[in-house]
Amino acid sequence: MGRHRHTVTLTINGETHDLAVEPRRTLLDALRDDVSLTGTKKVCDMGNCGACTVLVEGQAMYSCLLLAVDCQGLSVTTIEGLGHDGQLDPIQRAFIEADAFQCGFCTPGQVMSLRGLLDATPSPSDEQIERAVTGNLCRCGAYLHIIDAGRRAVVLDREAKEVRDVHVAG
Amino acid sequence: MSTWQVERQEGEDGEVTLSVAEGTPLSPWDAGAALRIVGTPRTRLEGVEKVTGSAQYAYDVRLAGQLYAGILRSPHPHARLTRVDTTAAAALPGVHAVISLADAPDIDWYDDSKLFDPTLRFAGDEVAAVAAEDEDIVADALRLVVAEYEPLPFAIDIVAALAPGATPIHEGGNVESEKTYERGDVEAGLRAADVTFDRVLTTQTAIHHSLEPHGCTVAWEGEGVTVWESTQSIFDVRQQVAEKLGLGESQVRVIKQHMGGGFGSKQIVWKQTVIAALLAKRSGRPVQLMLDREGESLAVGNRNPTRQRLRLGATADGTLTAIDVTIHQAIGAHSAGGEGSNTAGLYQTLYACPNVRTSQTGVYTNTGPAVAFRAPGYVEAAFALETGMDDLARQLGMDPLALRLTNYTGDDQSKEMPFSQPDGLRACYEKATVAFGWGETIEQPAESHRRRGVGIAAHHWVGGAGDPPGYAWVKLNPDGRADIITGTQDIGTGTRTGLAMVAAEELGFTLDQVTFHLGDTALGPYAPVSSGSATMATIGPAIRAAAAEAKAELLAAAAAFLEEPVERLSVRDGLIRVAGEPEDRATPVAAVTGSMSPHMIQTQGARGGNPEDVSIQTFGVQCAEVEVDTRTGEVTILRVVAAHDCGRIINPTTVDSQVIGGVTQGIGFALTEERVVDAATGIVLNANLEEYKVPTVSDIPGIQNVHVGIPDLKANPTGSKGIGEPPLIPTAPAIANAVFDAVGVRFYDLPLSRSRVVDALAARERQGMPA
Amino acid sequence: MTMRTFAYAQPESLADVIAALGAAPSRDAVRPLAGGTDLLTLMKGDIVAPDRLLDLKRLTGLDDTVEIRDNELVLGALTTLTAIETGSLVGEHCPALAKAASLAATPQLRNRATLGGNLLQRPRCWYFREHLIPCWLKGGDACPAREGENGLHALFADSPCVAVHPSDLATVLLAMDATVTVRGDAGERAIAAGDFFVQPDEGRRRENTLGGDEVVLSVAIPLIPGRTSAYHKAMDRKAWAFALVSAACSFRLDGGVMRDVRVVLGGVAPIPWRSTAAEAALDGERPGADVFARAAAAALAGAEPLRHNGYKVHLARNLVIEALEEVTRA
Repeated sequence: MGRHRHTVTLTINGETHDLAVEPRRTLLDALRDDVSLTGTKKVCDMGNCGACTVLVEGQAMYSCLLLAVDCQGLSVTTIEGLGHDGQLDPIQRAFIEADAFQCGFCTPGQVMSLRGLLDATPSPSDEQIERAVTGNLCRCGAYLHIIDAGRRAVVLDREAKEVRDVHVAG
Repeated sequence: MSTWQVERQEGEDGEVTLSVAEGTPLSPWDAGAALRIVGTPRTRLEGVEKVTGSAQYAYDVRLAGQLYAGILRSPHPHARLTRVDTTAAAALPGVHAVISLADAPDIDWYDDSKLFDPTLRFAGDEVAAVAAEDEDIVADALRLVVAEYEPLPFAIDIVAALAPGATPIHEGGNVESEKTYERGDVEAGLRAADVTFDRVLTTQTAIHHSLEPHGCTVAWEGEGVTVWESTQSIFDVRQQVAEKLGLGESQVRVIKQHMGGGFGSKQIVWKQTVIAALLAKRSGRPVQLMLDREGESLAVGNRNPTRQRLRLGATADGTLTAIDVTIHQAIGAHSAGGEGSNTAGLYQTLYACPNVRTSQTGVYTNTGPAVAFRAPGYVEAAFALETGMDDLARQLGMDPLALRLTNYTGDDQSKEMPFSQPDGLRACYEKATVAFGWGETIEQPAESHRRRGVGIAAHHWVGGAGDPPGYAWVKLNPDGRADIITGTQDIGTGTRTGLAMVAAEELGFTLDQVTFHLGDTALGPYAPVSSGSATMATIGPAIRAAAAEAKAELLAAAAAFLEEPVERLSVRDGLIRVAGEPEDRATPVAAVTGSMSPHMIQTQGARGGNPEDVSIQTFGVQCAEVEVDTRTGEVTILRVVAAHDCGRIINPTTVDSQVIGGVTQGIGFALTEERVVDAATGIVLNANLEEYKVPTVSDIPGIQNVHVGIPDLKANPTGSKGIGEPPLIPTAPAIANAVFDAVGVRFYDLPLSRSRVVDALAARERQGMPA
Repeated sequence: MTMRTFAYAQPESLADVIAALGAAPSRDAVRPLAGGTDLLTLMKGDIVAPDRLLDLKRLTGLDDTVEIRDNELVLGALTTLTAIETGSLVGEHCPALAKAASLAATPQLRNRATLGGNLLQRPRCWYFREHLIPCWLKGGDACPAREGENGLHALFADSPCVAVHPSDLATVLLAMDATVTVRGDAGERAIAAGDFFVQPDEGRRRENTLGGDEVVLSVAIPLIPGRTSAYHKAMDRKAWAFALVSAACSFRLDGGVMRDVRVVLGGVAPIPWRSTAAEAALDGERPGADVFARAAAAALAGAEPLRHNGYKVHLARNLVIEALEEVTRA
């Protein structure tokens, strides 16, 4: 079988990208190698760790278990797509404040999982925060601080939204 | 000011080496030191990079024309490679370089083998490698490599490797090393005992599973090579790459800004780095070679499994009369080097005991080579010794804490000298047990099948002291900001932040007036491997020394600038102050440094030697509360309280993270983590993150780190010792002892997997005991 | 861990998919692709290497609709596990299924994985998943797990294969008398879950009876008034693990006695394992500790533990009791 390439159009962090990829190209490799967005991490490549978590149409998914061709026309948000106007996303701020990482390699995936949660559920319970990151391993063992960051992020997210609403209203 | 002495030494072979003694005398920051930055909680300097995904790890390097590479690994645990043919692989479009035994240069590796060796000694051993334009093509090419094997008999565990007639994995047999230690007379001690413990305990093979795999990106420029490596030691990578490739050290530049976990496994240089360099040389292109998860599981280290026969004796009042342990540990197919797995150490030192005998035997097996894994040896020993101590306490009817305190010592009995902080462990006992509420009655759930219990375990750790050499530079810029430059690395532990705090403290600057540079052999002075929990204690004093000299020069310059005697001057919060003058008259540092531009203050600090009359160790105690469901065998950790003596706490934020992280890994080691090797084929069955189960967020209870924080003034001028490895050491035995307290079942083998717990509870039920 | 090359197509209709499957030279040559969370791992592990994948997500005739139809709760094959976990109809009419979905995998996988794929997923057996080791299920001569590392394997294997079925949902669906509707060249057929999952044998080294040209369309759960159900799952960590053992139980109370009793175990056989012996022990009895214990013992009576999985007998027995207790409370 030849190496036939498909042209795939993806909207990544709001920008349209036309990629020529083999069907076997995962979204993860497409992001990291074809678009050089290396914030999304490759760890297990088998859906067993969560480091490659991105939002596809707003839902957290493992980009290592998605074919790029299967994402034709879909909107993908990666860690590089968070934050507005040079400001960190509230979840990112919360991670720094709570020291919710050590080596930082799982961090983009953790942040994206929580972003997916807070977009759908702005006032989650502690249990919902925990469940949102059950699919993200952290080998350094920062879990307790990640939960803490999730709690802080709920507050920061609300404040940031209020500020944006004021701007919009103004 | 700094001293520098050199002494000639001639070995028996006539080789001359020069030993260097150097350092800057500094008065320690004692308990009364008015520190403004050190000891205050600070978030990480690299926080923004890590939360935005912009932190560049070795895996993230993207160079023009970069190729990707992969390794073909042996499917056999022991075999002779009779033929390897990479012709078809090399011919595949998109492939730019291949390497294998057929064409590899003759490079020594491990004890007695080669980079590509005709004898393969574990399933996962390197057979060939390919560099190609993308990772998919790499995989296609590796499938085209023709390799023929002559399988050999193999031994995958200690028992098989030591059995009569076992296949020799290396010439000379399967005993890699034997170390014995003895003081007093253990047999007499056991005879004098009123109670004894005599059991074989085992610990499992654990895999580090750093999330960023081992690997590197390599680019040649002329005869020089730059290596972006996921490593705990940029200077060791430089030395090894130079040695293996026949280059001078200065021709090799190694860069590591961020690393996705190492836990010991990245403290040595593994084959793939040199393989990548060779592929890059052959292809004339930069090459990135990161291991996949399978390779990461198989070939770059593990915590050696142990089998420990432990005998303890104590008199009726709890005084230990004998500790006798015979340890076998499977070090895998090769001696990989690095920090040794000193399983015997804990037995020699943790408790006062006149009669101690330890025997430690390293055994070769046809499995991946073991390498240091966060407190190597001590984690394994703590499970056995602290299980035995708990059992003795039960036999004696003593509180397990009381038994431990009865056998307390402030001396390092193996070195026959006092600890630098003789009360360190005592403080840990006090802090941990008070915070935990040790001795208080615990509340049992209403359902009779859910039983709760508590456990305690202690440890000391041979690391954390730091050693020379290690250097740092300080540069005061005209704008009044300081650059701190060192060749150490931040392996995720927060050393960047902690060391910057030390610099700012000594300079009298604010933390944001300091820019910290590390992780580049070309741009920074030498620093050793980040292992042994040593980085803060090794580099911290060097930074203090450099900063102290810089501050002295700054004050001399300020004296001229302000026309004040230097004795009246000090620096605080980045402002130069004159004694007796009002605060608002203080002069910004930039006024002085700017006025001397382009001259700059630039200093070097060297790590001095350690005192020779004390033993510098770190200590810790953990208490755990668990709940066991006797119907389903489910073990739930309810809480862990930890107290660790790491001397002065530089940054409480990152120390807390180290402790909760270590306990989290300890929970995995206690309950779920275990490499499984198929006995029939020698193949690892769970070389992945699905069936090798590290804890998830839901497995982790509340973990409280109680700060001990007693500056160790004899250790070094910062009073700080390492905290990296210790928090993992006592977790598993504290949990196992708590499980015993809950349900009365003693476990002698790790992990306490669901199957083991259910089996033990079912067996007890069959014996007619209540479920 | 990289896939071999393959072609990818997005057929416009289900008929095109069925035709392509029917024309395929072998079952593994052409594979339908829904969420892909199992298929892609099999391909990355070099366990299967299809020439062509057919996307099922953008065609007419297959959907993710969840609705009540003719007194049945009907779920389209493309319904995600997240939708099963959080959907109001499932929560109202079959909370045990919602719970099973919530205990499966992780949020990211549940967002992607589909009901159809979940039922068709292949075993997690580490011999099956290791391409270096031949195994019967992969076409080899013998099952290496029988004498090997079999702590995760079956107690009831009427098959050369001792792998266990990995699906949480399937265990519950069997306990709910669900039917699986499939369509192939010969048209549509509804298969009782108990006939859909069948132990692999020489002629069919698979865990189900789906034809080579067939696609799962939907799953229907009959709504029986008064019937309640429960699902209990034991894992070797608190989350993100396949069941070591699980138990799905359901019954309704009729004049204080149990009727329409179902007792199904997961993690103990190559398929979800229904125990009619346990059901018989419960039928017509009042709920209570003694009868639950008898039923649990009956459920495990014929168990044939392998060297390392004897713990599953004790565990399964107690999970049955726990699940029955929960049904009683519900």
